[in-house]
Amino acid sequence: MSSDRPVMSPAFRVASVAVLAAVTTVFTYIKLPFAPTRGYFNLGDVAIAFCAITLGPVTAMISGGIGTALADLLGGYPQWAPISLVVHGLEGLVIGLVVTTRRDSVTVQALGGLIGILVMAGGYFAAESTIMGMGLGPALAEVPGNIVQSAAGVILGIPLAFAVSRAYPPVRQWRW
Amino acid sequence: MTVDFFRPGHSFLHRFDPRAKLLLLMPLFVCFFLPGPLWLPASYAGALALVIAGWLGPRELAVPLRAIAPILLLICLLTPPFHLRGRPLVRLFSLTLLTSEGLEETILLFMRFTGITLASFVVFRTLDLNDFVLSLRWFGLPFSLCLVLIVTLRYIPSLGATWRNVRDAHRLRSGPSQPKARGWMPLFTSILIEAIKGIPSLAMALESRGFGRKTPRTSYAVLPAANRFVAYLVIALAVSAVLIVPSFLLRR
Repeated sequence: MSSDRPVMSPAFRVASVAVLAAVTTVFTYIKLPFAPTRGYFNLGDVAIAFCAITLGPVTAMISGGIGTALADLLGGYPQWAPISLVVHGLEGLVIGLVVTTRRDSVTVQALGGLIGILVMAGGYFAAESTIMGMGLGPALAEVPGNIVQSAAGVILGIPLAFAVSRAYPPVRQWRW
Repeated sequence: MTVDFFRPGHSFLHRFDPRAKLLLLMPLFVCFFLPGPLWLPASYAGALALVIAGWLGPRELAVPLRAIAPILLLICLLTPPFHLRGRPLVRLFSLTLLTSEGLEETILLFMRFTGITLASFVVFRTLDLNDFVLSLRWFGLPFSLCLVLIVTLRYIPSLGATWRNVRDAHRLRSGPSQPKARGWMPLFTSILIEAIKGIPSLAMALESRGFGRKTPRTSYAVLPAANRFVAYLVIALAVSAVLIVPSFLLRR
């Protein structure tokens, strides 16, 4: 962390995490049509990737975890909430930590996104096959969908972080 | 944007202490993973279905079952190929499609996933989110994290309204058609900027309300009295015993 960065108050940290968690919840509610299969994917991962790249690993971990868990709780899938809390929280943390090494490099952002995709798909696979009691077969069948959704999140999240940072420069100082 | 999974009511499940209800969730999950005869998880899932239908109404039972129907179908289709030991039950030429072990495992996973879903449904359908956050605070979650949860819950509807306003503004500029992929980026950028611009004023509002000071905090919302919690905790422990003990007595 550079020394010229303004010190963020605890209230500012709570506010930034809460707003980004609400953004993640709302983005998770938004379903976009996926033409080839006529299915839908949600945009929760877009918010997580954006948050990790723009606001850093800690904000991404807390807001990503809480935002997706609340989306599950409010949307009628409460059994998934603890898993979303952990898996999406880890996804945000990992992307944020990788991006922290070289913030402005798109290659590093893509690498962080790739690791995030693996964490998300692997985390859900592990949780579904064990904690949720779905078994190996159904949990394996969910992996491609999770990878597509997470990859779409990273692909949209990287340019989104760039666009928001350019349009609203103060956000660059809010990294935590 | 109005979103709340909680359905208000006056049933016994609604009156159940939120802390005891959350504690009960643990044995409700664990009982589906304990060894025992196959009819045991089936009877637990059946009992949960009866509880939901009896106290919340038969229509409420359809809500979680409809939500998990695709996963249950996946379990039925994809579990047998991973368990091919045992007596063959269904064969196509030389290919074994279903064995006795595969069928048993499929039923077990079906009941386990249905049971976990129904258990979390019955708890969170009857648990007000404010009580949920107060219970988490009572269990020791730091105040700042509880505040994050509360502020997030308050902020979701206003952010949903912002989403609609920005989307409508973009539609007015680009015509009535749904935004295509290239139209998403400006839409998302506008919404995110609108959201994060509110962070400094929200932080100031929190500070002006005393967040970050060392003085003791007061709260408008309080959980039910401790003696009521103890009474419901005894009920929760009794239910836990009913759920856990049979699997040890009837171990295969």
